[in-house]
Amino acid sequence: MKTRKSKVLGIILVVVMIILSLLFLFPVVWMIANSFKGDAAITADMNTIQAFVPPAPGKGFFNNYVSIITDTNFLRYMLNTLFYAALLIVLGVVVNGLAGYALAKIKFPFRDKWLMIIMMLMIIPSETIITINFLFIAKLGLLNTVIGYILPMIVNPFNIFLFRQVFVSLPDDVYEAAQLDHCGPVKYFFTMVLPMSKTVVATVSVFTFLNVWNDYLWPSLVFTSSDLLTTQIGLNSITSNENTTMGQTLAVITLITIPVIIIYSLFSKQIVEGVVSTGSKEG
Amino acid sequence: MSFIELKKICKKYPNAAKNSVTDFNLEINEKEFIAFVGPSGCGKSTTLRMIAGFEDITSGELYIDGKLMNEVKPCDRGIAMVFQNYALYPHMTVEKNISYGLKNMKVPADKIKEKVDWAIDILGLSEYRYRKPKNLSGGQRQRVALGRAIVKDSKVFLMDEPLSNLDAKLRVSMRNEISKLHRELGSTTIYVTHDQVEAMTMADRIVIMKDGVVQQVGKPMELYEHPVNKFVAGFIGSPQMNFYDVSIDGNIVKFSDGKTMKLPESVISKLGGKTSGLILGIRGEDIKLEAQSLDVYKDTKQSAVIENTEVMGNENNLYFTFGGTVTIARVSKYEISRVGDTIEFVFNPSRIHFFDKETENCLF
Repeated sequence: MKTRKSKVLGIILVVVMIILSLLFLFPVVWMIANSFKGDAAITADMNTIQAFVPPAPGKGFFNNYVSIITDTNFLRYMLNTLFYAALLIVLGVVVNGLAGYALAKIKFPFRDKWLMIIMMLMIIPSETIITINFLFIAKLGLLNTVIGYILPMIVNPFNIFLFRQVFVSLPDDVYEAAQLDHCGPVKYFFTMVLPMSKTVVATVSVFTFLNVWNDYLWPSLVFTSSDLLTTQIGLNSITSNENTTMGQTLAVITLITIPVIIIYSLFSKQIVEGVVSTGSKEG
Repeated sequence: MSFIELKKICKKYPNAAKNSVTDFNLEINEKEFIAFVGPSGCGKSTTLRMIAGFEDITSGELYIDGKLMNEVKPCDRGIAMVFQNYALYPHMTVEKNISYGLKNMKVPADKIKEKVDWAIDILGLSEYRYRKPKNLSGGQRQRVALGRAIVKDSKVFLMDEPLSNLDAKLRVSMRNEISKLHRELGSTTIYVTHDQVEAMTMADRIVIMKDGVVQQVGKPMELYEHPVNKFVAGFIGSPQMNFYDVSIDGNIVKFSDGKTMKLPESVISKLGGKTSGLILGIRGEDIKLEAQSLDVYKDTKQSAVIENTEVMGNENNLYFTFGGTVTIARVSKYEISRVGDTIEFVFNPSRIHFFDKETENCLF
């Protein structure tokens, strides 16, 4: 039974968390509210509470959004990025999942040392190897191609580690039962291992999506054709254009932020479960 | 020819100092129910897994239905297996768990439905058909595992301690269900357990193993009545057989605590003149307390003070120290004794076993 003291502490905790949440939400609310306004209104409302209130819906309410979608290639950039993300999620789950499965369940020489090496790769910032990746892709003649963009991004040591940590706890007798049910190793991976590990698949998918969605440096090196550009580069090109208004800039940023918020809202439970399970299972 | 034949099967794991299974020889007839029993680490599950194809056979030959199986994949051996931890597919319903193997075997859909309906009906799983394993109890999960095995028309069923995760009451009812299924399906069954009661109640023959070596193969009562060594004698039967270090002087048996007991010449003569380095074994129920036995076997009459009693309902176990060791006598529920009572008891001489102390082999 809760004591009076613990109840009071609980209420204080909730109040503090609400205040902190509001502090974090203020910039987002400000951004969304002002994305519907013209520059004059934004400037006028800057130092008032009106800065956090969107204008009343009416004619021209979506002007900033309409002009971004019709006057720029931003929709194209968003679709490009979604396509790259989808491709990398599928390939990443398969490739990193298979690697994680091998490290978890298949006995081969120096397996633990391989795992150690892969874990060590996690501490190397991607920026340090970006030049090597660029030269490699250039030598292959894959610059300005989708393959050239996604190839170095498929394998991810962190995702391999996540998969390995979850797969290691899968019971071996399920694999043996599947063998007796005429299920080969490849079919077992796709019809048993992945469905049994939905949480980590969701976690890796979300991380991959965010990685692609927020990536700026690598696509800006690989892509030169505007047809292939991603959202972050699109954001840069739109906001750096002197004709772009502040309202349009905020509309672009809102468009970029919305998918991230949706993804987090839908998969927050899986992300937490996925990361927690990789730490709590016996390794 | 026997249906399953294991010839000099050995298993040695890499870097292991000794074999996990050594020279395992066994012939199993079609439709026979065989139980592998022994303490943890005796090699019974390893042997079963070698039969299933999950473990490589280091040396020896395995034949199923006359075909050498050493290099055959598990799915092509014509076996079905029930696992200790059920090994159900957690993301599939009961129906899909049972039908999964059939689908992979490209059995026609109507045939699959027919078989799944039959299995679900026979195992009483109708109301759980669309549930996932996490929403089933242990007994229901084990029935699903059985269902998955029986739909495949396999000639051989392998069961690896299938009841060890169930509570005592459920274990008894599942024991009965498995025996019934075996009779109905007529499949050859190999059942691994560490529970000698399961082995005794279900199996046509029992294989007792210790340290990877088969100790004895026989019908349950053969093992109970005629154990080949002290290990088998001690393993089969509950409470376990009482053992005493003894020596013989004429017709007199001398116990390590100095007590003596006169045995008939017919019993002593079977020892072939061996007088020392002996272990005498007698089961609890062959230690008699009732007046008639005290009179019939009066030459072996002894006395002791009761140290503990176990009231089992249908019988009582009496604990007392005799011959330098704690002795358990299994007496009828009407033989009421209390802790501290002095009792008189006799050994039924015809039920006494003698073992060589060095080899632990039964002398008769």
